[in-house]
This record gives sequence, structure tokens and C-alpha cells, in this order.
Amino acid sequence: MSIKDKIPVTILTGFLGSGKTTLLNRILSEEHGKRIAVIENEYGEVGIDQGLVINADEEVFEMSNGCICCTVRGDLIRVLGNLMKRRDKFDYVLVETTGLADPGPVAQTFFMDEEISSEFTLDGIVTLVDAAHIDQQLGRSDESSEQVAFADVLVLNKTDLVSDDALDTLESRLRDMNRMTRIIRAENAQVPIETVLNLSAFDLDQILKRRPTFLEPEYPFEWTGVYDLAAGKYELNLQEGPDPEMSLVAFTNQGSTEEELKDGAESSVRLYAEKAKSLEPGNSIPFGEHINLQLEDKGNKSFILNIEKSTKIGLFTQHTAEEFNMKVIKSDENKEIPFNTERFWQAEHEHDDEVGSIAIERFGDVDPEKLNTWMGRLLSEKGVDIFRTKGFISYSGNPRRIVFQGVHMLFTAQPDKEWGNEPRRNQLVFIGRNLNEKEMQEGFDKCLI
Amino acid sequence: MPDIEPFSPRGMFHEGWTAEVNDYAIACGWALKGKQFIVGDVAGGLFAFEGDTGKIIWEKEKTHSGGLLAMAIHPEGEIFATSGQDGKVQICNCHEGKVIKTLDLGKGWVEHLKWSNDGLFLAIASSKKVYVFNEIGKKKWISEDHPSTVSAISWSNKNELATACYGRVTFFDIVNNKTNQKLEWQGSLVSMELSPDGDIVACGSQDNSVHFWRRSTGMDAEMTGYPGKPSHLSFDDSGKLLATSGSERITVWSFIGNGPEGTMPGELCHHTEPISSLAFSNKGMLVASGSRDGSVVASFLKKDGNGDPVGAAFAGDLVGAITWRPDDCALAAVNAKGLVNVWNFKVSTNLVSKGFK
Repeated sequence: MSIKDKIPVTILTGFLGSGKTTLLNRILSEEHGKRIAVIENEYGEVGIDQGLVINADEEVFEMSNGCICCTVRGDLIRVLGNLMKRRDKFDYVLVETTGLADPGPVAQTFFMDEEISSEFTLDGIVTLVDAAHIDQQLGRSDESSEQVAFADVLVLNKTDLVSDDALDTLESRLRDMNRMTRIIRAENAQVPIETVLNLSAFDLDQILKRRPTFLEPEYPFEWTGVYDLAAGKYELNLQEGPDPEMSLVAFTNQGSTEEELKDGAESSVRLYAEKAKSLEPGNSIPFGEHINLQLEDKGNKSFILNIEKSTKIGLFTQHTAEEFNMKVIKSDENKEIPFNTERFWQAEHEHDDEVGSIAIERFGDVDPEKLNTWMGRLLSEKGVDIFRTKGFISYSGNPRRIVFQGVHMLFTAQPDKEWGNEPRRNQLVFIGRNLNEKEMQEGFDKCLI
Repeated sequence: MPDIEPFSPRGMFHEGWTAEVNDYAIACGWALKGKQFIVGDVAGGLFAFEGDTGKIIWEKEKTHSGGLLAMAIHPEGEIFATSGQDGKVQICNCHEGKVIKTLDLGKGWVEHLKWSNDGLFLAIASSKKVYVFNEIGKKKWISEDHPSTVSAISWSNKNELATACYGRVTFFDIVNNKTNQKLEWQGSLVSMELSPDGDIVACGSQDNSVHFWRRSTGMDAEMTGYPGKPSHLSFDDSGKLLATSGSERITVWSFIGNGPEGTMPGELCHHTEPISSLAFSNKGMLVASGSRDGSVVASFLKKDGNGDPVGAAFAGDLVGAITWRPDDCALAAVNAKGLVNVWNFKVSTNLVSKGFK
């Protein structure tokens, strides 16, 4: 049976009061042409005639080996085992979990049980979040951070009860925990059905299409501008901005192609790691050094750029130019020189939560054996803390890219479309608790050929 | 091996009859000493056919709203019981299919039904509880809540019932309302079979192993290495061979001598897709297996558990249930498309294999 014939399953999680039942009712009452079988956790009152509603008490079954990654939901195996005999009655399955459920065993059931995995395919995990309460819930319980970590879609519900600023802050906190997820804001669980069903969410292509930069590494700077400057004296003018200071690295001979920008970024990362030299307005900006512009004064602040001979200057700034209305002015002509190229970078920020995402992106091929050994070891050592894994791999000698996905230490890898003219590369995302990014990146790098 | 002598493998499936029911057939059984064959489909349809010809005798639709889950024919073959998602059990008459008694057990699915060997009791499992009723539907006993949904039930002797659930097998004396024995083991037990004398308890576990206990000695053992969860188990009538399967392969453990601990099991590899039903003949060492690929094979086993196929047929689609007629002279299989196949099975009872001279 090919994947096309398998029945897609969406898992709906979220704390009590997050709006799961409201969303469920909406899905069931809307005209979407799907016949949905619902597996409900509690003896709830869905009260909807359409669809097949089955109640099941959550039964989490650990195996004798004690491995949490092998833990499955016995109730789902029984209920789905029966549903597979009634395939003509429905074409979609929705599993609602209790507020306190760990999504791991639910998802693992679709990998661990051969009978279930031969008939059903996990389409996606949708987690509802009560915008007004999730901050406290995240602090209090592991379950809520796990539900966020597992989510392919996070519905940030009840946004009408929270200010826009608070929503932005919350969204960036959630995004930190789970970089793969798609966040949708909603009042009263009003979300378009197509954003929660038929996601093929385990498909990394979909995510990359939505957010092409999500696999990129984070940088200590947000912005780069490249300026063509003739010899002479220039001023770098900044107005008031979000911070009383800003780090900056300036290079001469900075190229404008993507490759040259990335080279510049790498050099800047090294310089940013060094202690910054504090620079008051009126002073000259040295090249190839990590400096910290002091911007406490009100109004315009000017720094000097002395250009000995015509060159391209690259400025790698902690914040974007726009935030400080930063401009380069040719002093004798009092004329603004616009940048010829700008590039935004995924900014690095504090990670407060234990749960977070790690992305690895590398060009080239990997050695399948080395990768297997590394992944096998990583997942057996850290499988408990790694909630989700998705990625593409380029195996040397294989014309097709390998797509893989996993839940805890279970993972499947299968050949996908051919690479064709696309540059061969590897993209991996891990979401988990207390993951060591550097160690994992180094581990992966050793698998490259 | 009381009645059957070994012979060279050859096709033993002879043309019998076929019939159709309305939906995915999940349960079947012989009634009236083989004169009648009853089939239940997933939607709750029940159909009785003449055992020899396949002519329909009676049929009923939607006997359980939400669908049928189990059916058990009384050992005397005059009555049978069905259960479903509606939380109900019906005891019916085989001749006309008339409902004699309906038992309403509440909201949970009623997934398992077993008549005791003497036919005095009907054991019923629904969610975490097990009930025992008598033949006329009078309640005799109820268990406490089990730690999880009961996954299998079986009678170990006339008054003793075994139940399996997550982490344990329990033996209840249902007449004196006593717990006789608890066998504990951390694992999700998905199937259970007892040897005919009730001494050996075999359970298939979600973690792809078979665990068994010998009640008389207290010894237990775990057989690991199955490619899938062993949902299908069957003991032969002597209790010496246990056929198990969680994949396209059938593994047969022999309890002869010191086995099966430390012995190599027999392996039968006749199917291309996982086994979906497994049944030993009522007498002798013939095991019939049905697969998701629709193939049905009967194999004649030796004492060590190895054996040869003696006949095979194609049932058309996933085999939902398989059963031998009480005299073992016919084998029936029902499938996911609602097709019923009955083959006459010619067993030579007095032929002795002389081999080539």
C-alpha cells in the first residue's frame, strides 16, 4: 500500500480551555467534503451527527524495556484497528487528546505499531494554545512545552484577550521553542480548515516553502549593508533607536554576492565573539574590529569612516539600519550614499526555555554509514529529549534525496524526488529539550564527505 | 496425533461453496454440529448458511449500532452470542437467529466473548471489566476494574477465567468470587491463549514478543525477536504446539520435552503478507493460516514445530477469520470484502505413508 492510500490522521492537542472542542466542532460542522472519524479522549459532548465519534480512554502503554520512545497509546491501537475495517465510511481521522496528554506516545503509535502504520499516516500535530494563559502553563508543566514542541501548527487562540505586543512576545517565545511550527492567530478557534487538516506537515518541503529562512543559522547581527565608497571622509549617522548602544563590524572589500556576504558573515561572527571596543560619537570606525557604538545621547550621532581608496564597505550591524535610521553621508558634499546591497540575517536571541530547536544546513553529500552511526548514537543517547526530527539528506551516489522524519528515537528515512540540477545539500531540524547545538553540528559535520 | 497420519504434501483443499455477506467479515463459526455456518460482518450483519451447501438460512442487519465486535457460538451449537460498539450483548438462537436475551453493559465497547467449555457460562469483556453470565443471560459475576482495557479472556477450567490486560494476566474463580492467581509482567498484552489443560498461558505483547507462564511450576519465559506484535496465537489440541504470528511468518513453539526454552522453533513461511488469522484443527497437528494477502494455507506439523503445507487456496482479500468445522473435514475463511469460502478438506484417517521403495 502506498502512502497515498493511507488514511491521514491529525492529532489535536492543547491544554484544557485552549479551545480544542470549539475547533473540533468547527471542523465537523464545516462543509469540507471530508468524512472525518473523531477519536475523542473524554466522554465529551461533541453533539455532531456528521462524522463518526468514538470515545476512548487514554491508555499509555510502556514497554518492558522501559524505553519511553516505545511507549504507545493502547486505546488508539484498538480503536484504529477497528476503524481500518470500516474504511469505506470515512477518509480522515482526528485524534483529540486530553489537556495533559504527552503527544509523544500518540505520535509514536503511528510509527511503532505495524498494523496501524500500514493503514494510517500521521498528517500533522495541531496544538491549541490559550494566548492568555500559555505563559504560566509553560512555566508550570512539561506537558505544555511538549505540546508546543511537537506541534506542526500552533493555533494561538483567544488573541482578543491579549494585547498585540504581548502576542508578539509570546509568538517569538513559541517560535524559539519550535522553529518548524506554523503559528496561526485566532479568536474563538476560527481558523481556516485547510490550515489544520491535510497538512502533510511531516513534509519539510512545505515548511521551507512557507519560511525559507528557518533552517538558517542564527547570527549575532541582524543586518548587512554594502556601500560603494570613493576615497574620502564619510559620516555614519544614527538617530535614536531601540538600544543605547549597538555592535558593529565594518569590512573593506566586501563583495555583494550571496557567497561573499556569507563569507563576510562568518568573519563577523568570529569578530563578534571578541570583546567589543566601545566607541563614542565623533570617533573613527576601525575596520575588521568588533566595536560598540555608544548611542545614549539624544538626536543625531555621527561616527567617522575614513576611506583611503575607493572600495566596497560592508557594515554588519546588531540591529537593522532602519531601526536607527542609519545613513552613510559623504562629508564634503553632505550627500547620502545609499547601500548597493542589503542582507537580513536570522537574529540570535536569548533562549529561556529548555525546549528549543536546532537546525543544521550543510552543502555536499554525507556518508550513509557514518550518518547512520551518528544518528543511531544521538537518538539512543538523547532520544528521550529529542521530540521531533525532520530533514533532507544527500547520500553520496544516490540520485534521489533522502527524506527523514522521526519522533523521539524512532525515525524513518526514504528516498524522495531526484536532485536534478539542485545543489546537493542536507537540512535537518531537531526539536527537543536541552539540546547541545554545537555538539550536534560537529557530529553532523563528521558525516560529510 | 490420534487420527491423522503424515502424508506427502499435496492439495487438500477441495471445492466447497462460497457466499457473500454485506460488509467486512470479522467473525465466523460453525453451529448445530457443523450443519450451519454463521458469519458476522463489521457493520453488524449476521448470516447463517447451510454447512454443506452455503444456502442462506437467515440473515439480519445492523444487530449492533456502531458495529459488531465479537461473536461466540455455544459449544453445543444451538445458541450464539454477539457483542458490539453499542455496549450490548445479544444471545441468539442459531436456528432462526432470534434474539433470546439482550444484555446492556453500558457505554464501552464489548470486545470479547468466550463460552466456557461446558457451555454453562459466557464471559464478556467490556473496557476494564469482565462479566460472566449463564446461558440464559443471568448475571453470575463481575470483576473489579482492571488496570487497563481487557485485551483477551479465556477459560482455564469450568469455573476459572483468565483475563489479560496491560501488565498482567489474572485468574478468577468466578463461582467463589476469588482471585486465584496473578501473573505480572510489564508489557501490553495484546493476545492470550491457554493450553487445553489450562497450565500454559501464552500472551503476545505489543513489544513484539511472546511471554508464557507454566502455572504448575511457576516458570515463565519470554520469546523475543518477532518482526511484529504477535496478535495471533493458537494451541493444538494436545497443548504441545503453540503457533504464533506477528508477521508473514508463523513461528511454532514445541512444548515437548524441555522445550520450548532453549529450542529452535519451527518456522512456516508460506505467506507474502502478515498473518491475519490462525487456527489449529480441532484434532491433530494441522494449522490453518490466513493472511492479509488473501492466501489461506493448511500445514501439517511435526513434533518439533516444523511442517509442510498440505493445501493452499486464495480467499480473495484479507482473511478476517478462519475456522475448522468440528469434524475438521471443512475449513472456512471469511474476508475483508465479505466473501465466505468453505473448502472441503479431505483428511485421510487410515492411509499410512509407505514412502518409495
